[in-house]
Amino acid sequence: MSDYILELKGITKIFPGVKALNNVQFQLKPGEVHALMGENGAGKSTFIKVITGVHKAEEGEMFLEGKKVDFKGPRDAQAAGIAAVYQHPTSYPHLTVAENIFMGHEIVKRGMLQWKTMNEEANKLLQQLNADFDSTAEMGTLSVAQQQMVEIAKALSTNAKIIILDEPTAALTKRESEELYRIVDKLKEEGVSIIFISHRFEDMYRLASRVTVFRDSQYIGTYDVNGITNADLIKAMVGREITELFPKPEVKIGKEMLRVENFSRTGYFRNVSFEVHAGEIVGLTGLVGAGRTEVVEAVCGITKPDSGKVYLEGQEIHIHTPSEAMDKGIILLPEDRQKEGLIMSWGLGRNVTLPTISKYAKSGFDNEKKERELSKELLEEVDTKAVDIFQPASSLSGGNQQKVVVAKALSQEMKVVIMDEPTKGVDVGAKAEIYAIMGDLAQKGYAIILISSEMPEILGMADRIIVMCNGRKTGELSREEATQEGILELAMEKGKNAGKEAR
Amino acid sequence: MAGKSGRSINNVPEAPLKKMILSWEGILVVLLVLVNIFCAFYSEFYNLSSLLRQMPIYLAEVFLLLPMAYILVLGEIDISVGSIVCLTATMSCIVCNTGAPFIVVILTALAVGAVCGAVNGFILTRFTELPPMIVTLATQIIFRGIAEVVLGSGGSISATNTEGLILLTGKVGQVPYILFLLVVLAVIFAVVLGKSTFGRRVYAIGTNRLTAHYSGVHVQKIRFIIYTVMGVCSGICGLFLLSSSFGANTTTGKGFEMDAIAMAVFGGISSTGGKGNLAGGIISAFIIVCLRVGLGQRNVHAQVILLILGVLLICAVALPNIIGQARRAVKR
Repeated sequence: MSDYILELKGITKIFPGVKALNNVQFQLKPGEVHALMGENGAGKSTFIKVITGVHKAEEGEMFLEGKKVDFKGPRDAQAAGIAAVYQHPTSYPHLTVAENIFMGHEIVKRGMLQWKTMNEEANKLLQQLNADFDSTAEMGTLSVAQQQMVEIAKALSTNAKIIILDEPTAALTKRESEELYRIVDKLKEEGVSIIFISHRFEDMYRLASRVTVFRDSQYIGTYDVNGITNADLIKAMVGREITELFPKPEVKIGKEMLRVENFSRTGYFRNVSFEVHAGEIVGLTGLVGAGRTEVVEAVCGITKPDSGKVYLEGQEIHIHTPSEAMDKGIILLPEDRQKEGLIMSWGLGRNVTLPTISKYAKSGFDNEKKERELSKELLEEVDTKAVDIFQPASSLSGGNQQKVVVAKALSQEMKVVIMDEPTKGVDVGAKAEIYAIMGDLAQKGYAIILISSEMPEILGMADRIIVMCNGRKTGELSREEATQEGILELAMEKGKNAGKEAR
Repeated sequence: MAGKSGRSINNVPEAPLKKMILSWEGILVVLLVLVNIFCAFYSEFYNLSSLLRQMPIYLAEVFLLLPMAYILVLGEIDISVGSIVCLTATMSCIVCNTGAPFIVVILTALAVGAVCGAVNGFILTRFTELPPMIVTLATQIIFRGIAEVVLGSGGSISATNTEGLILLTGKVGQVPYILFLLVVLAVIFAVVLGKSTFGRRVYAIGTNRLTAHYSGVHVQKIRFIIYTVMGVCSGICGLFLLSSSFGANTTTGKGFEMDAIAMAVFGGISSTGGKGNLAGGIISAFIIVCLRVGLGQRNVHAQVILLILGVLLICAVALPNIIGQARRAVKR
């Protein structure tokens, strides 16, 4: 029994109307890194919340080092040595690192907070993690990767024996992910057991020794990472075989649609030029912060560039507002679905028709009947998994939210489609569907710009790849000549010299 | 990409009647009836004709509610309107006393209101990071300050040429003009907010300003228009106040902004933006007006009426919370 540091048996968690977990089990060996995988909505997050005492399971038992435990709330779990680090660190951006680490369990002596001791303790923890910042730094000034490091330090400060990492690499660049791998290795050496949730196979292969798969709220199986193939794992997760993850159609590339010349915005990007043709998918990549999003936002009138020209079908155009860009057929699918792409509390239908309400309106008044018909049609076209068009966008999984964003774009007359990280936080099954939609759009003759940090996605989908670093275009590769190494080199090396000039 | 799964998504809306009965507006209508029954028992003088006769003095500030609802739906607030009312009443009284034709007096009130509103709108759209509460607090002080300077040491001005002003207090049968105008404007404001593309965009901005911006909504233009209209409506309010009191002083319109906000919030319009509709706000305005008339007839002190309204407001805001908690408790 005590082979496992943590064991859960027959866990069932019921939310009003749905079984979020159905008789699932899980075993964690001491000192192992155990990956937990499954599509969005498979029940991973709920499961984690059961472990950390946030949710109480209706049925099932949990054993910690062989002893049955019953957590009444997150505090109990924390006291028992279980800590969770979430994808988006839930920290206090205006407080210092030390204040964040000791939030809730401050060191107190005679009723006074011992900041000196806490700062020293925090620095010790940070050194242990090889952090390159100090405990007095303000949390908000750190990168996401650094903030995660603080969260891990916080977990260590509570003497956690089990650390749960919930999609820690989703918001990290390649290099930052490497750093995280190193930290996880180190924690493992120190005997900490780790549960690791991720959509990235790369993470799993690199870190985990075993992997447990959930699908549709059920336990599917636990496998040795060395003993399972990629395809089998995907099959376990999705429940069917995905024949082709990147269904890139052969499209004859047409005339030039969009050309950007010498685009500059002080502090963000400098002298960026590129063009996209009809039917072409151009990948725009680079490390996070390289200025990719900033460039397309300036093209779409969301921010103003300092200088540079934009040509649409050979004609110079001047765009000052997002609606002007849309009128001309340049459609941006923004990076952050929840903050920029959708109104989460609104129904799907209203989200789809928001940019185009005026088109159907009769003398300024909404034509709701037409809106309902059109949004139904478009949402079905992209195969959204939804019950009706009135359910709020927040009720959908990430992949389906992305489809709603696509439907919203389809409601407009498009020429150039710019997709900024369209598969961020999206599970494998939905990813393949989004790639299929992208391929379809290219086939229909739209010019597509795909911004992505995910190497396989860029290599799999793009006809041509533009790499940026520190606000500059550092290279352009054709589909044939592009390799992972080649792109990385362009994304990192040249930046060291060019960076200072751009900023 | 035509629906590989062939999944069909429902697009038939819920029956509107069922929705309405359970809504906050439904509760408010019941409350309006109850308030009228209460007033009729409480005051022997309370009936339709006395209500219509005594209503106008309380109706003027309801004009502020209409655009204030838009501003609250935007997730913003304008606390300068009471001062705009004071300034428009003062300026139009001065113009009136010069013997100018009455149409000029009306235009003065509307124009002064529009300029004040546009000042708010300009500052807020030019410097988008500034919080509306602070900006309009500043203009609240500035606009009333200008009025006080104009009013001079006496602190008040009386209308000497009342001919035109009396016109405004006229009636068709028993129904005062002000009620007519208010109902017409209320319908227009409610329909535009609820049914027009403009209204939809206002909700979009109030719910998620960034998404609205990315979706091509002219966020700043819409905000500017609404703040300017807020000023114009303050001008209408100021004009009616002038016509009912034949003058203006430094306290004219004081606290009106809070009354307008209270009516809106009581009517179910969330001060955090994106929620509520004008129907609720207008019903709640009439609840308050009826209560004021009824209690006023028995000489209940104005402060006591305010106290009652305050308690009602807290109940209205807390009620959805209490209901939610009760529901959760039952589920457990």
